[in-house]
Parts: sequence; structure tokens; C-alpha cells
Amino acid sequence: MLAPQNSYTNLSSAVGLGLIGFNGKDIAVDYGCMCSDSFVYASRLCKRIVGINTSYERLKTLQKRLVEEDVKNYGLVNANYNEQHFNEAFDYVIINSFLEQLLIEIKHNKSIFLESMIRSKKKNNSPGEIRIGFLQRVCNGLRPGGTLYLSYANKLRIRTLLLFIKLAIESSFTAISLKKAPSFTSLLNAIYLFPYYLLSQRGLEKLLKSNGFVDIEKYAVFPDHKCPLKIIPLRKLYECSYEPVQHLYGEGSLKRISAGVKRRVDRLIFKNFKLFDLSPSFIITARKSS
Amino acid sequence: MLCELITNNTHNNNVALYKCYNANKVFYRKAAFSHWGNKVIENEKKGYDWFYKDSEFLIDVKFRKRYFYELDIPEFKGRKFPSESVISGNEESIEKIIAFYKDRWSTNDIFAIHGDLALWNIIIDRNNIKIVDWEHFHYSGKEFFGYDIINMLFVLIYNESKRTFSLNKRNRDFLKKCYIQLIEGAGNSNKILEKPFRNAKDYLLKYKDRFLISTNIYKKFVLSVSPLSVLEHFDSIVTR
Repeated sequence: MLAPQNSYTNLSSAVGLGLIGFNGKDIAVDYGCMCSDSFVYASRLCKRIVGINTSYERLKTLQKRLVEEDVKNYGLVNANYNEQHFNEAFDYVIINSFLEQLLIEIKHNKSIFLESMIRSKKKNNSPGEIRIGFLQRVCNGLRPGGTLYLSYANKLRIRTLLLFIKLAIESSFTAISLKKAPSFTSLLNAIYLFPYYLLSQRGLEKLLKSNGFVDIEKYAVFPDHKCPLKIIPLRKLYECSYEPVQHLYGEGSLKRISAGVKRRVDRLIFKNFKLFDLSPSFIITARKSS
Repeated sequence: MLCELITNNTHNNNVALYKCYNANKVFYRKAAFSHWGNKVIENEKKGYDWFYKDSEFLIDVKFRKRYFYELDIPEFKGRKFPSESVISGNEESIEKIIAFYKDRWSTNDIFAIHGDLALWNIIIDRNNIKIVDWEHFHYSGKEFFGYDIINMLFVLIYNESKRTFSLNKRNRDFLKKCYIQLIEGAGNSNKILEKPFRNAKDYLLKYKDRFLISTNIYKKFVLSVSPLSVLEHFDSIVTR
């Protein structure tokens, strides 16, 4: 495929996709099309790419970008993820911000949640029965040996913890007012979703295995999965080096100070204590068993 | 194959650097994410070809020209240096590098400039010296012999003096020794070594397009941001 020489768009935010090697014969699907750079990047390296999203507006915005970039080897589908029944059509499945979709399904299907809770208490590691509709659709759509790429934000972050503490302190000193109601509502919602989140986060590998995936690799991503600057494979944790990285927006002494503090905290958490469960984002790659 | 992302889009170069673990082999992969990135990678390939063409060791650099270019570079064994390296403690290595530069650069038919020579881009394995990161490689005239070493020395001064530009006598004497060692390899028409630091900055600013930089040059090279008075101060130290 020849490159139009006037196109100089920098697609560096799609750097995570460099972890999986596309080739010119591959067909890929992007569930959600959450990152247009990733979509364009994959379209450049694959034979064809399909984008699926429930929002017509989102697809329209993406299409505008694709026209600007002169991308032609794509198809867009406006439908619910679980309504699509592709059968072994794709070599790659790309899903950015995946966990949210999984969370919705687990939240709405209490039997999955309860069953998983019981399983984890019994410490039964055998996969097999935790069937997630979305993951099954994804697996069915992949050709044997095809690759799954997931990226998602880690919600178990210090910022969330700080929000909890801040709201707790505020509520102890001041009366509850209408102004603070939205904050409390979002806090309650976060508390409600937390067990589901933990389940999907901790059990993700098990869920993937039980839905037909093998060779699962998990990566810690810094400073976020939308534009990674550092990606560390958790299997090679002790061979990789970690130095704090962050996006610097704007200047000013306050921003410099807070960036300096964050660098020190990150160095302590990730370099000294290797607490990579607290990474801001994760990427998971897996292969459909042949 | 498992990959670690080391850097992404450093100084807006539109290139990512991965460290790849493939069975028992480790190598580095540079991948472009735009057409500018393709240019950078193509340029880097030229640098490796230039440097290793007469080399005694064969190196296996693989270049893939797809829509976005990729370059696989083997992992070189040997002593590596951190980015904050200083003069103190590295004197022996610096002298080795200058001797190597004099030998390699003055015997090569076509003169070229690495563009970003610093200790962190050099690997020393006993007496073998390998140089990586050829993104800013370009051909130039032989009269600019010494530019890369002067750039390397200035980065060391910058790190050593913690941006205050004051060096102790031991380091000043060492700099002078390096300069004398370097000037032995220069021709009569040399345009760098009369006032090395000042002339190196002039070269950098005059020919900045040759360095293939898509960001502000002042953000990339410490030599370009340093005031002339400072450069002249160091010129006087080494040429006196």
C-alpha cells in the first residue's frame, strides 16, 4: 500500500498496537472505535478494518477523520456489540476501554457475578463455565490463532482514593448541601460498581481463558492507555526498567511542582515497590486457541 | 514475542522504541508512526550502514519498509552509560572514545556526523566501541571533524556542573587533554576546533535542517541553548 506523501499525521498514540504485529493480509475489527488514531494506524497496516459502535454520532466523527486521512479500506457498523455474529472473520480484534463493556454485562447479569464470587471463594482455578456474551462474540469473530488486543484504564487509582478521602473529610466538617449531591451520587455509584470492577479486573485472565483465549499477556501502561509513553510486560517485570513518565501540558511553577511530586510518588510505587497493580492503565493481548 | 515500550515520540520524532524479547534473543525495534517517522528511521538506517560498513563486526540491522517503516537493531553487549553521566569516573572511557573517533572518522572516505553523540549512545565492550541512535545522522564536510566529540564533551560538562557551568581544576585539565588528543586528528581547514564549543553551536544552528528534527532545536540539544559567553569560557579553557 503506497502512502500519500502529503499525509503527515502523527499516530504515536496508537503505539500500543505496535505490541501486536499486523501484516498486510490481516483483517481487523475495532469494537467501540474509541481511539481514531488506533483505527487509522491499523487501517494503514491491515488489508481491511471494520469499526463497530452503538453510537451513530461517534461513527460519523470517525468517518470524517477517515476521509481526511484518505483511508479507504474500512467498513463501519452501527450496532450493539452483542448483536454482531461474525464467524471467524478477523485476524485481530482491537478493543480500547474494554473493561467498561464487561462491567455493564457483569452488572446486569447477577448470575455471572454470583457464580464468579463463589468460584473465587472456592479457589477453583479451572476455567470453563463463566461465559461472558461479549467475550464469546469476540472469540467467535476471530480466526483460530487470531489476536485480541484490549486496553483499559485502571480505576483502582490513587486519584479515586483521594476523592474518597476528600469527600469523607468534607462530609465530616460541613453539612450535606445540594451542591455536593452530584459528587456524593458519583461516589455512591463508584462504591456500587467497585465489586464488579474488582471481579472483572482480578478475574480478567480467567474470564478470557474460559472464553477461548490462550497466551494471555498483560502490560502496565504509563501514563495512560490513550497515549502511552511506557509499556511494561508484567511477565518481564524484573528485566524492564521503570522511570516515571508523564504528559506535560502547559507550563507554570504549580504544574512543575505537582509534576515533580508525581514523579517521586511514581518512582516509589513502581520502581521501588513494584506495585504494578496500581498502574494507570493496562493492555492485554491474547490469542484464540487454534 | 514480548515487547516493552521504552520511549514514544521523544522530541516529537514520531518514532517509538521497543525492546523485544524473542525466545532467547533480545533486540530493539524502532517503529515509525507517521511519514516524518519514516524519514527518521530511513535516516537512522543510513547511519548504521555508514558506521558499520567497514566494521570488523557484522551487525544484523533489519529494515522493513511497509506503510510505516521499522528498524530492528540487535542488543549490543558491553558497558552502557546513563543519560546523566558526568566526566568524573568516565575519563578512561572518554579517552577511548576520542581515540576511536579519530581513527574511524578520519579514515572514512565520506565524512558524516552522528548528530547526537553522547555517552548514553555509546557501548564499550573491551576495545570495541559501538554507537547507536543515528536519527540525526547526516553527511558533511571533513572540515567539521570534531563536532560530535565536542557535543559529547559539552553534554558531560552540562551534567557535571549541574547547569552552573563551573568545573573543578581536575575536570578542566581533563577537557584540555581531550582537546589536544582530538586536534591531532584534524586537518588544516578544520572549522570546529579553533573555537570548538562556539563553532559547534554555530554549525548546529546553521545546518539544523540536516539534523532532521521536528521539534524546536533548543529543546533537544543543550549546546544550542547555552549562551555564547559560556561557550567562549570553555573554549578558552581548552585552547589556552
